[in-house]
Amino acid sequence: MKNQWMTFISGRVLVRAEGKGLERFLNKLTRSKVMVWKVKRQKEEAMLFYVFLRDIHTIRRLVKEQDCTLTFIRGEGFPFLWRRTIRNAGFLIGIFLFLFVITFLSNVTWGIIVKGATPETEHKIRKELDKLGVRVGTLHLLGDDPETLQRKLTDRVENITWVGVELKGTTYHFQVVEKTEPKSTEQTGPQHLVAKKKAVIADLFIEKGKPLIKVHQFVEKGQLLVSGEIGKEDEPEIVAAKGKVWGKTWYVTKVEFPLESVFQTYTGNEIRKHMLKVSSLSIPFWGFSKHEFQEFEEETDERSVQFLGWRLPVQYVERAIREKKEVTRSLTKEEAVEAAMELARRDVKKTMPDDAEVDDEYILHESVENGKVLLSVYFQVIENIAEGKPIIQGD
Amino acid sequence: MAKKWTHQLRRWMTNKMELPADVLMDLPRVTMVGQIHIYIENHRGLLAFTDRELRLLLKQGQLLIKGKSFVIKTILPEEILLEGKIEEVLYINE
Repeated sequence: MKNQWMTFISGRVLVRAEGKGLERFLNKLTRSKVMVWKVKRQKEEAMLFYVFLRDIHTIRRLVKEQDCTLTFIRGEGFPFLWRRTIRNAGFLIGIFLFLFVITFLSNVTWGIIVKGATPETEHKIRKELDKLGVRVGTLHLLGDDPETLQRKLTDRVENITWVGVELKGTTYHFQVVEKTEPKSTEQTGPQHLVAKKKAVIADLFIEKGKPLIKVHQFVEKGQLLVSGEIGKEDEPEIVAAKGKVWGKTWYVTKVEFPLESVFQTYTGNEIRKHMLKVSSLSIPFWGFSKHEFQEFEEETDERSVQFLGWRLPVQYVERAIREKKEVTRSLTKEEAVEAAMELARRDVKKTMPDDAEVDDEYILHESVENGKVLLSVYFQVIENIAEGKPIIQGD
Repeated sequence: MAKKWTHQLRRWMTNKMELPADVLMDLPRVTMVGQIHIYIENHRGLLAFTDRELRLLLKQGQLLIKGKSFVIKTILPEEILLEGKIEEVLYINE
């Protein structure tokens, strides 16, 4: 007997034969080279057996000479399975469509991550990528491969030394190493240097130009510090005066600091609630306990649920309820003054230029009024007071 | 008379020359695997088949197999493989 699988592939039919002389019929079948197997006597005058699908015509012809009837109960095997599949073609199409969609989606760029770049460079890279056709939602299968992309990017974006391109799943990762270019020196026209504000000169550092001032000299605002005219008096040469003039300047800051202050602090007790939100309907699924806080603050964090890159109209909401407490702090006068001084220092740092330095500080006035310490602080600051003033040649 | 003479000759040949009897004398060759399988070669056709009995025609006489829940696994012109619970194998000579 042939293998079960062989009969499965070519197809087999379960046949029921009824009538008299079934044994004779079987003998006839075997003699006409019809394969018969799994013969079972069902009742007195009926038999069940399997034959090959291809032998159906032969046994139909043979049964005519016999006084018995045949019933084909069911077909088994590949030909029948195939016919059923054709009949349920929609299902088959669905399977292929599903596979196609999955394949399609996994070939779409779903993310671009740029690392190691300043926001400016990142913007440039993203713009360039947009031009190269690397966008979220496009097929990366049709675009350039990472190596080409890497080469093109390094060519087109100026201030990057190297860019590593890697495609991980559906996300592009760009690792950027930026060029650190020296700052281009500002090209200035011929100019004098004048005082930005009134000050006492502390130090001079002149690169170009003729200094007209000395250390410890008092200068007014707008006073010429360094002249751009050099050379002989009768035939002067006009240059761009350049340099730094450090002058002592003054700042007065008024600050006030309360002796008693009330703070809000968290006690550390909190309750977290998790819920799913569909449009305006919230379905809590974790954290049902009720809080008994006198004072509290609520913080809500909402996140949209994503499905293969799409946002579903379902949000995951996490709500934190934290207990608050009021704390009163009272300070002595000295402590309050110290705190006020700190405040004043911070204040003056904000107003003075970056390259300036606090030289000295004095408290000019100090008083306590309505539970507050009032201070007026005098700061002596050394800063660059030189400012360019273009020379307009009027001749 | 002549048929009987050839029969005697064949029997003599099997005895003396140690040739397989089923080949020379058209005897059925019965192979059994415990009680569950019986394989018969050299039969001459099916005479009766129910789930408790199988009757086969041989060249000489009949072979009757009795048992329970018989299923013919394969049937070919001269071979048959029967499955079930075999209880008796009987030779019937007219």
